[in-house]
Amino acid sequence: MKHQLAIVIVAIAAVIGLGASGIRRATPLTLVYPANFGNRISIPDDNPMTEEGVQLGRRLFYETRLSANNRVSCATCHQQAKAFTDGLRFSQGVDDTPTPRNAMSLANLLWVRNFFWDGRAKGLEAQASFPLTDPHEMGQSLAVSAQKLQADGRYASLFAQAFGTPQITGQRIVQALAQFERTLISANSKYDQYLRGEYQPTTSELNGLQLFFSNPNAEKNIRGASCGHCHGGPKTFIELFHNNGLDTVPADKGREVITGQSIDRGRFRVATLRNIALTAPYMHDGRFANLEDVVDHYNEHIQPSETLSTFLQGNQGGMGSAMSGRGDLQLGLTTAERKDLLAFLHLLTDSSFIQDKRFSNPFIP
Amino acid sequence: MRIRTLFLLLLTSLLSFQTLFAQDRATVKVSGEVTKPLQLSLEDLQKMKPATAVLKDRDGKEHPYTGVAVSDILTLAGVTTGQQLHGENLAKFLLVKCADGYEVLFSLAELDAAFTDKQAILAYQLEGNALPAGKGPFRLVVPGEKRPARSCQQVVEMVIRFAKD
Ligand code: HEC
Ligand code: HEC
Repeated sequence: MKHQLAIVIVAIAAVIGLGASGIRRATPLTLVYPANFGNRISIPDDNPMTEEGVQLGRRLFYETRLSANNRVSCATCHQQAKAFTDGLRFSQGVDDTPTPRNAMSLANLLWVRNFFWDGRAKGLEAQASFPLTDPHEMGQSLAVSAQKLQADGRYASLFAQAFGTPQITGQRIVQALAQFERTLISANSKYDQYLRGEYQPTTSELNGLQLFFSNPNAEKNIRGASCGHCHGGPKTFIELFHNNGLDTVPADKGREVITGQSIDRGRFRVATLRNIALTAPYMHDGRFANLEDVVDHYNEHIQPSETLSTFLQGNQGGMGSAMSGRGDLQLGLTTAERKDLLAFLHLLTDSSFIQDKRFSNPFIP
Repeated sequence: MRIRTLFLLLLTSLLSFQTLFAQDRATVKVSGEVTKPLQLSLEDLQKMKPATAVLKDRDGKEHPYTGVAVSDILTLAGVTTGQQLHGENLAKFLLVKCADGYEVLFSLAELDAAFTDKQAILAYQLEGNALPAGKGPFRLVVPGEKRPARSCQQVVEMVIRFAKD
């Protein structure tokens, strides 16, 4: 009896000892970002940021074995040099069926709560399992992905460093990916440098900035392009869903498919304009090949519909050159003003973001 | 008597069957710190006590809206209003969510008749007609504010929570 008790005590001590030495605590990581981005960030309580978790996530982001044919990784469609897009209208995954929508740029996702063009995924952890398992993207169940990583001896220790124990699970795969994606912070464009007082924009850039954030007002003789209603603030997006007048009858109903409400027809999430000069083609269906076409769209091709955002109506205001009939859907920007607006959009390119070694492919030495 | 109950049962089940398929029936969801979560349709709101409020719109003119007092909706959902709005309940807030993702916040006290005479309403009519596309079917009308930013449009959800700090 006494012996048994002693054995139990020894066993418990051994387990505790193992716990203390065997389970390493990952190193907490604090994300650094500009104060003007605000603190409405999302990091789930059960997936705190750690150095080791981010390292693992970066590896997994570039890991082709997470796909059914071992050739596709997240980075196939989200390439760093293109601010994590792929330059295509629609992307190619493991099979011949292209994705129904344009690949989104990945920057400042820490501030996003509803992911995808239609906002259907809440949180980056939930988002990641979509491309991993979609038969046309990476086409592999999370369980098979975990098995394939298990077969590579190196991963067990990486998971142990990140999560305390060597188990490789689907949940841990998406958690590590999400941790890595939260570090993709783009806040060093010339526009940020200007906000920090380190860059003096050209006259054209300054005028473009002014136009971008102003609403036209005829009485006060203010000219504006009203972009800030939706792409406002230093992050250049507000998490809103709007119909920005691409079609009167949209082929892709966007958010309506998620909510089942016809007031959401043709509504999509307002995209970030960070690095926008690097992420052509544009819009959820990649219909615009360049930014000139985008500016022309907002200036004179807004399509009326029941759900067209009210922010894009009644804009004629101080803009003058509206044509008859659809005047209030036109901005009436002059050729020079369009150039200025484009100059401002180019100011949002963050070259240090696309060269940052922390985000690059770890498999390429 | 029995037959009537049976008939009523049949009718309600038919009605709920219909709502299953009428996916476009707009509703406002009330959730969070409530004793009775609600999913209010236009018909539900029309059955409640009507209230009016006036709002100066973009055109600079004042327009009369009809709807239901927000505080009545909160009371129906079992939120701590009126006599119950004291102590820790004063640390509760209402977050109003709109279809486009826009959100505005109120403390419960600023909506309560025991605290203020400015009655905010959830409006479903403007000058006797349904709200125009883009604004409706439901919009908040908050009288007495200098900017109409909290009189938000296309309301889809009202969430009541405790401020956590
Ligand atoms: C075959 C191309 C492809 C692959 C592979 C792919 N994506 Fe994507 N990604 C897309 C497309 C297309 C969208 C937009 C889809 C939509 O909105 O319906 C998208 C959207 C996203 C978004 C949403 C961004 C936002 O602002 O809402 C995130 C995050 C993302 N992908 C991360 C990943 C991760 C992580 C992986 C790897 C596990 C991955 N993607 C693999 C094509 C791809
Ligand atoms: C009513 C809100 C709204 C306003 C105002 C607005 N946008 Fe947008 N913008 C959106 C939405 C929503 C999208 C995504 C639409 C889609 O893909 O269907 C978008 C997409 C874009 C894109 C493409 C992003 C990408 O990654 O493909 C650019 C560029 C853009 N907007 C620039 C502008 C400029 C410049 C202005 C001012 C002239 C402007 N927007 C005004 C809502 C708005």
